Amino acid sequence: MPPIRKSGGVVVYYWDGDLPAPADAAFAAALANRRFRTIENAASEEVSIGWVTPADPTGDSFDAEDLDGGLGAWLRCRIDKKTLPKKWLQIHRDAAEKARGKKLSARERRELKDDLAEKLLPRVLPTIQLVDALLFPERRTVLLFATSKGAREAFTKLFFESFALPLERANPLQSALRAGLGREAESRLHGLEPVRWPRADAEARHPQRRPARDVATAAQETDA
Amino acid sequence: MNQGPDGAETHGFLGEEFLTWLWFRWETGGGEFTLPGGRVVGVALDDFLSFAAPSDDETEQTLRRGLPTRTAEARTALRQGRRLRKARLLVAEGARQWTTTLDAPTLTCSGVRLPDDAEECESDVDRTGDRAANWLALHEIVQALYATFLRERLRPDYLQTAGAEQATWMAS
Repeated sequence: MPPIRKSGGVVVYYWDGDLPAPADAAFAAALANRRFRTIENAASEEVSIGWVTPADPTGDSFDAEDLDGGLGAWLRCRIDKKTLPKKWLQIHRDAAEKARGKKLSARERRELKDDLAEKLLPRVLPTIQLVDALLFPERRTVLLFATSKGAREAFTKLFFESFALPLERANPLQSALRAGLGREAESRLHGLEPVRWPRADAEARHPQRRPARDVATAAQETDA
Repeated sequence: MNQGPDGAETHGFLGEEFLTWLWFRWETGGGEFTLPGGRVVGVALDDFLSFAAPSDDETEQTLRRGLPTRTAEARTALRQGRRLRKARLLVAEGARQWTTTLDAPTLTCSGVRLPDDAEECESDVDRTGDRAANWLALHEIVQALYATFLRERLRPDYLQTAGAEQATWMAS
């Protein structure tokens, strides 16, 4: 299988609690329990989200060596979506309206759509999205290689369903709380307010005011 | 799942202060940081800067290509007390070099380019291991730099010490 990507965007998540070691059977079992299931032959509009491995895109196997991502475990989530192609629907609706010589009613349009879905969807192939992540159990950290909201939500939901652990997205507060700053510094975080840096242009307009250094020192913060 | 306010909403400004602080430290100290564990990294701002809008009514300002940190527009933005919202960074440790665009309010890295694969890599499994280590290293470096910033920022006398120095630099 090709190596993991070397460019792109990454979103960091953390979790609290215990996760089975990726080499353990329990980890593979948790993935298998939420394995990807194909919707290739589905006759309705569907979305299927589940685990696969980089070596096996079907979700049939979860061998420990296929999850080997060096220092971490390489997870892959597969998201398939099957939808009725809108252009085909429009073409059929236009043809029906042309044959009738008038617009279809709402009920007729719904019936046409249902009829088309039944005929076309078994022949329509789903779109496939593969979302990779590196999981570092000792750091309780996941690096997710997808930045879109849809992919992030699908991955975090699947992770929660698989391991019963919510993922917390890294942000300036979360990352600060995990930086080992000590209790006193952490307590100051919650009431922290942005620094109001001095505006040199305002100073130029009001030269009688104090110089920039003093203005910055005097900036107010609720935590100070 | 967490139902409270998102830390990017409540503390996004802290990410912006962090990115602006990186610029300050790069320009005034050369951008070399010794991180916990003796890890020495270099950080520089590259060819993309975006300043946060000071308020909802004002515009964001984006500067691309060339050396945007050297432009009059960038200096003016700093003089107006504006914080960086996004910037393209060069991060180096030893022979390894990463480039990434850091979105400060969410601390998300986009457009990352990892260092070249190590010469010792002979197989795709080796390359995956090498790249995984490089992804993790970038995350750890950004997190360690952020922690270094926070240790300064959360000191009770910050505004009278490091904050005052940064204010002088911004106003210069």
